[in-house]
Amino acid sequence: MNQRPNEIKIESHGDILLLDIRGDVTAFSEPSLNSAYNSSKESSPKKILLQFEETSYINSGGIAVLIQVLAQTRRNNQKIGITGLSDHFKKVFNMVGITKFATIYPNQQDALKAMSSIS
Amino acid sequence: MLDEQTVELNLPSKLGYERVAIGGLAAFAKSVGFSSPRIEDLKTSVAEACINAMQHGNKGKPDARVLVTSKFQDDVLWISVFDEGTGLKAKLKDPDIERIIENLDPPVGFGVFLMKRLMDKVEFDRTSNHLHEVRMMMKLKG
Repeated sequence: MNQRPNEIKIESHGDILLLDIRGDVTAFSEPSLNSAYNSSKESSPKKILLQFEETSYINSGGIAVLIQVLAQTRRNNQKIGITGLSDHFKKVFNMVGITKFATIYPNQQDALKAMSSIS
Repeated sequence: MLDEQTVELNLPSKLGYERVAIGGLAAFAKSVGFSSPRIEDLKTSVAEACINAMQHGNKGKPDARVLVTSKFQDDVLWISVFDEGTGLKAKLKDPDIERIIENLDPPVGFGVFLMKRLMDKVEFDRTSNHLHEVRMMMKLKG
């Protein structure tokens, strides 16, 4: 079974760059997530919000890809927010420790409001 | 022996087919009364067991298969995932995200880590009919 490539829309919201990630997040997501992150570097954002779809399937391969992106954002001193997760994946992200490096917000509106006040 | 409370799925050993297993077992768990949050835990655990079977057990062999069986008995759901490998050679340590972020460890081990935390019991390194088995258990109550 093939996975369709993720569609990732990139939008600027003030000083926050939003990566709107559509589709399942697995090991197959690595090229599209890395490409989106690399293209975001052009605007040197200090804050990045990763928006997922609540119905997406996320597995350990996708978690590993996401952690590699988080490693890059840490090296580049960027603040990371995550939104659009189901309650289950909020729990999973907390279990694996992603919440030590990124803040999970309940929705995009709350995330943009909270992140815009981070200096 | 297969009965009304037992299901079996025989999958190609190819990433992506774990979704067939999670769809089938989620429907089975729902039919016997598991709550939505527990079904989500089950789906992640079954997916990770199947992915490990495909990648590490069957080592990507195109003609290998992954067999998933599940039985509901005495308010307990048992799930076994079989592959054609020989099991874990060494005890896996839990992934340390801080070391992974610092590039000191590879980003691996999340599947087993999640299975152990989301299920009520997980047994590795069982063998049955020359197949390697991972056996997981989830209680309906408690």
